[in-house]
Amino acid sequence: MTPPDRYEPYDEPSQPLMRVDGYRESQLRTPSRPLYKRPATLTEITGPLNLAKKLKVGMNDLSRIKQGAPRAMGQLIWVTGRLLDEDAMPVRGSVLEVWQANAAGRYVHKADSGNPAPQDPNFFGSGRCVTDREGRYAFLSVKPGAYPVPNHPTRWWRPPHIHFSILGEGFMSRLVTQMYFPGEPLNGIDLLLKAVPDEKGRERLVARWTPMMQLERADVVGFEHDIVVRGHRATPMGF
Amino acid sequence: MAHRRVPTPSQTIGPFFPEHFVGGADHDLTFLDDKSKRAQGQKIYIGGNIYEAERLPRWNCVVEIWQPDANGCFAHPNDPRRARADPNFVGWGRRSSDDAGWYDFITVKPGGYADPLTGKPRAPHIDISIMSSGLMRRVVTTLFFPGEAANVQDPVFNAIPDAAVRERLILRPEKLERAPNDAIAYRLDIVLQGEGETPFFVD
Ligand SMILES: [Fe+2]
Repeated sequence: MTPPDRYEPYDEPSQPLMRVDGYRESQLRTPSRPLYKRPATLTEITGPLNLAKKLKVGMNDLSRIKQGAPRAMGQLIWVTGRLLDEDAMPVRGSVLEVWQANAAGRYVHKADSGNPAPQDPNFFGSGRCVTDREGRYAFLSVKPGAYPVPNHPTRWWRPPHIHFSILGEGFMSRLVTQMYFPGEPLNGIDLLLKAVPDEKGRERLVARWTPMMQLERADVVGFEHDIVVRGHRATPMGF
Repeated sequence: MAHRRVPTPSQTIGPFFPEHFVGGADHDLTFLDDKSKRAQGQKIYIGGNIYEAERLPRWNCVVEIWQPDANGCFAHPNDPRRARADPNFVGWGRRSSDDAGWYDFITVKPGGYADPLTGKPRAPHIDISIMSSGLMRRVVTTLFFPGEAANVQDPVFNAIPDAAVRERLILRPEKLERAPNDAIAYRLDIVLQGEGETPFFVD
């Protein structure tokens, strides 16, 4: 199957605002001048297809440091879904990276060293895989804890979430996003989730709960989360 | 007709992108792995500072580049000249800006090509993306080389009408401490916001 060769601009209300009230970093780092429109050329409709050669993949268990090691604190979760293009075709062979806080709301990262929440020596905290023939990915992890944004005047807490980085099939299908959990009260006050103006767009960031009997094992809670990256393939569908 | 799916919204990369995801050699595009041959072409080094507002250095940005090989080819099905692409060149690299806001890449000088989409010649160029906490979407721009005759016709370079602004995308030859001895070194600072702001393109 050939990769997409047609990319249209994003539909603005379905993507987040760049400057977000109350999110100070967004005001210091967002360019102040309007963006220039450039034509798509070959450089934009291509992209690295063989990154699994360069980046180590096959890390899909965040819940322990290595195979056979004790598992991290918290509730085991199984997160899976499909990577699709705008025509609902599977995006195969794409590198997909995830990272998240531990069950207490702390990251395995030096930039989180001031966080008073405890570290968990058994928590790996990140994973990288390649999507399969159906565009599917899957990770085993523990449910991330919520965490407060330090010294925020409105006591903003980040709801439980998982960060996703998707390399896709081309420069224009690169996507960095976050996945949220259904039914979390903190979702309603999250400045980053609320930065997406369109309600349907916000819903696209929230995973679906998987009924227990649909899971292959009894010791996990399951979430299903499809991700759509930009791009259309040459052959128009269904005509 | 197939049901159109809307792309998932972007969200900021945040401050906690795992350090091990930005591997030691991911910013060196001149080889794939220890066993592979070196990529063809002139080795170059590109480095610079990233600044946020008030010209404060911005550390912990994730920077990615994408470019054709030394002959202007991509190993990608959308390139009609793909059969000629250098098998030892992937064209993609990643780096995080260090504590002083410095980013850098080692790569080969990209070749120009005749663009099948716009029908215009593309001057040698490198596409660059910057992600950071505070950036709800990535910002993207294109770097160009000094003294290239093809710059004046390049459809992306000319998408910026103000000549003084588009000059900010031209790499500047400079002796840089961290450049390998056998590489031509170029500098390009990226100003996310404020005076001398880098021009960015609609993604
Ligand atoms: Fe986070």
